[in-house]
Amino acid sequence: MLKTHKTMKRDPYKWVWLLGMIIMIIIIILPIYMMFKYSISDRSSVVTGGAVIPLWPYHPTIEQFEGLLEETGFINAFFTSLGVAFLTVCISLALGAPAAFSLARYKIPGKAMILILLISIRLFPDVISVIPVVETFIKLKLVNTIIGASLAHTLLSLPYVIYIAMGVFETIPKDLEEQAQILGASKLYAFIKIIVPIALPGLAAAAIYVFLLSWNEFIFSYFLLLFGELTTIPVFLRKILSWTPQHNLLAAISVMLSIPVIIFTFFVQKYMQAGMTAGAVK
Amino acid sequence: MLVEKKGLINKLIINIRKNIFGLLILTPALLYLLAFLIIILYQIIVLSITYVAPDLSETYPTVKNFLDLANNEEFIGALKRTIVFTLVGTPLELIAGMIAAGLIFREFKGRGIVRSLFTIPVAIPGIVTAIILFILFDFPFGHINDLLLGRHSFFPKIISNPIPWRSTALFSLGVAMFGKIWRDMPISMLIILSGLQSISRDQYEAAETMGAGGLQQFKYITLPLLVPAMSSVLVLRSIEMWKEFIFPYILAGSYPLLGTLIERAYHEWNSATEAATIGLILLFCIIIFTTFLFYSLSWLRKQLVKI
Repeated sequence: MLKTHKTMKRDPYKWVWLLGMIIMIIIIILPIYMMFKYSISDRSSVVTGGAVIPLWPYHPTIEQFEGLLEETGFINAFFTSLGVAFLTVCISLALGAPAAFSLARYKIPGKAMILILLISIRLFPDVISVIPVVETFIKLKLVNTIIGASLAHTLLSLPYVIYIAMGVFETIPKDLEEQAQILGASKLYAFIKIIVPIALPGLAAAAIYVFLLSWNEFIFSYFLLLFGELTTIPVFLRKILSWTPQHNLLAAISVMLSIPVIIFTFFVQKYMQAGMTAGAVK
Repeated sequence: MLVEKKGLINKLIINIRKNIFGLLILTPALLYLLAFLIIILYQIIVLSITYVAPDLSETYPTVKNFLDLANNEEFIGALKRTIVFTLVGTPLELIAGMIAAGLIFREFKGRGIVRSLFTIPVAIPGIVTAIILFILFDFPFGHINDLLLGRHSFFPKIISNPIPWRSTALFSLGVAMFGKIWRDMPISMLIILSGLQSISRDQYEAAETMGAGGLQQFKYITLPLLVPAMSSVLVLRSIEMWKEFIFPYILAGSYPLLGTLIERAYHEWNSATEAATIGLILLFCIIIFTTFLFYSLSWLRKQLVKI
């Protein structure tokens, strides 16, 4: 509904709306601003000895980031996070993309049941499932390993991948593979050589989504990696929190953890929405 | 009868043959999820009915874990706090989502950018949000206390003594709830927004020609037609509130909810069986509450349609 300029002017709700908008934007921006502010704060702007903490650091500096890049603990956590996330993406897509194609194209008996299973796994509380999973992984010697963390993360990401990829495959016309099959291609060949390349942008979005999910994941990583050498960045953050570190160090790690997420989110927003609201809208 | 049955089986076989490729490529993912589901359900039940005595001797099966927890004050406290946390937090999440959706629904310049901005909170890792709040709500001198004490010239003085944000249940869980709502607002917003967009414009135009004002339109058109989206938000968000972990874990360590108590039971009490028992109880709470909420919301929807 496009209102003309004139009616906008007379609209009594306009000012209420504007005020609400400003307050909302402030509430959303402020914590993010504070994270960046703290991460570039020098010591004197954090440890003030009771004086007011400045809203902008006295001497902005990137020394916290420089320090982090020299700290082996953080570097190791960074590469562990990266490894776990990549492995999770590979497993989730290898399992999820074919399954999604199958659900989108074929008349699978019990399809409704499968979709309900996916939603219930997505909604199953992770704080509850973590105990049995960890106890089982201890027996299977999968704790403190990258593969163990990835397998657990795949459990969380697989329903999302299937939902997102199903949406992608449904947009690809069926004629395409039928024509390929008429020309003599097998179903597998048609899937790999024709469908997957067309679906690639959507699948890439799904991959990014899974990457972020694994990158952010705390509970499973924490329970699986707490007592070992390996830590992901969220677990590293939790571990150093118990040493009561300076706030600017905490903020700097937080920034390093958030930046990839904020950048990628803008790319996959459209698909993320589908993943987040899956099951909400019938 | 027999012929009919045979025909049915034949049909099924033909159906399977036709879709054999589809079934084949579906199986790995399905097996993966089913295997995990079976492991989780089986293990959690076995663990919860196994009692490990202090001398490490195991009794199985027994309900001793449940009886122990019923007399455990820490558990009772956590259960009460979780119920309050859910009952207060879920409606607040809905309200936050509705306000955000209402703000963004209007056409204006830069709507796309603001919309992207509004979805940022859900993108930021939960632990990062929790830690930012941990820093901001520091005691005695964090930003929030500075602000409320009137130490900045642009803000009025509201309190005279700094508030200990982490040493009372009310404040620490309040901050945790704020974090949770801040982070999840975009999800509620998107669901409400899709509900708003599905309402046809004709209805508003019809109402306008009949002389209904903005408030009346909201009350008699928007609100009733938004009930399905609102129900979705309430059901989904309440599950999230029940199982919330990261915010109370970082911000309210001394006042555990059931989610954080599971962690404490596992790592501090060193008892996987008790952790599993708490998990099972939490699962029951969620299932019962969600079923109740779901049915009462659909009942409410029917009542509204009648009018």
